[in-house]
Amino acid sequence: MSIPTHEDQRDAKETLAFIRRTMESASTYTAVSGWGLVAVGTVGLVAAWLAWSGNLGADLRIWIPAALLSVPIATAFNVTKARRLEVPIWTGAIRKVVWVMAPTLVAGGLLTIALAEQGTTGLLPGTWLALYGAGVTAGGTISVRAIRGMGVLFLILGAVALLRPEWGLPLLALGFGGLHVAIGLDIVLRHGG
Amino acid sequence: MADSTTTETLDRLIHERIRLGIVSALAAEERMSFADLKQVLRTSDGNLSVHARKLEEAGYIKVSKGFEDRKPKTEYRLTTKGRRALETYLAQMEAILSEARDALERT
Repeated sequence: MSIPTHEDQRDAKETLAFIRRTMESASTYTAVSGWGLVAVGTVGLVAAWLAWSGNLGADLRIWIPAALLSVPIATAFNVTKARRLEVPIWTGAIRKVVWVMAPTLVAGGLLTIALAEQGTTGLLPGTWLALYGAGVTAGGTISVRAIRGMGVLFLILGAVALLRPEWGLPLLALGFGGLHVAIGLDIVLRHGG
Repeated sequence: MADSTTTETLDRLIHERIRLGIVSALAAEERMSFADLKQVLRTSDGNLSVHARKLEEAGYIKVSKGFEDRKPKTEYRLTTKGRRALETYLAQMEAILSEARDALERT
């Protein structure tokens, strides 16, 4: 076998990188916007501050609009990042993420209605944190590692909030505010925006 | 491409960039629609069709045609032959790098 030239070596490296990029692009959702998570975290912090200043805890009049507002914000940031990176937006991978996360989020919505009707709103923070964590952990298997880690941390916060309902509001602030901002900044630094 | 024994033995069928992209994407995702493949590879309908047909003729991929919401849908899957071809191709690429590393160490 003759010794490969520099050109062969460069071609081989470039080809392996192309294969890797293509496989990632086909199977994983990598265009998660760190700034999007920071923005969603800011919404979470504002909601927590409003709940704290009005002594309202897990009041649905604050947290449901906050959750609804977060969806278009995250979508806009992710679409912008995908366009900047020139990666596809609506692929099989993102459809999978949506399908994997949707059942736990729907279950969270149903439990919210049931708990609110029963008047056991003290369990809402733990329910939201745990189910959001379960959904994000599952969705994270098809995305970047930081997202999976964030899901596990949300699950832990949810478990604490369910066992200590009196800590509900600080844990909501820590999760939907602090965790989103911290993981968002980590993605900004490691994955470029 | 430079003249060496290693590069000469490469499988020309998947050495072409779009075909290599199709095979790589299908190695990561069990089945992909024409639309998804087109997005991942950022290529035109005509280009994707031509290259996919060549891979199908070689038995590297399998094509199934059906309907979804009354719209025609074409799906692609990698065959065992196609997966083996990609594995061989990857081993050859790694061999080129390994050969180059050995040559560097000898100097």
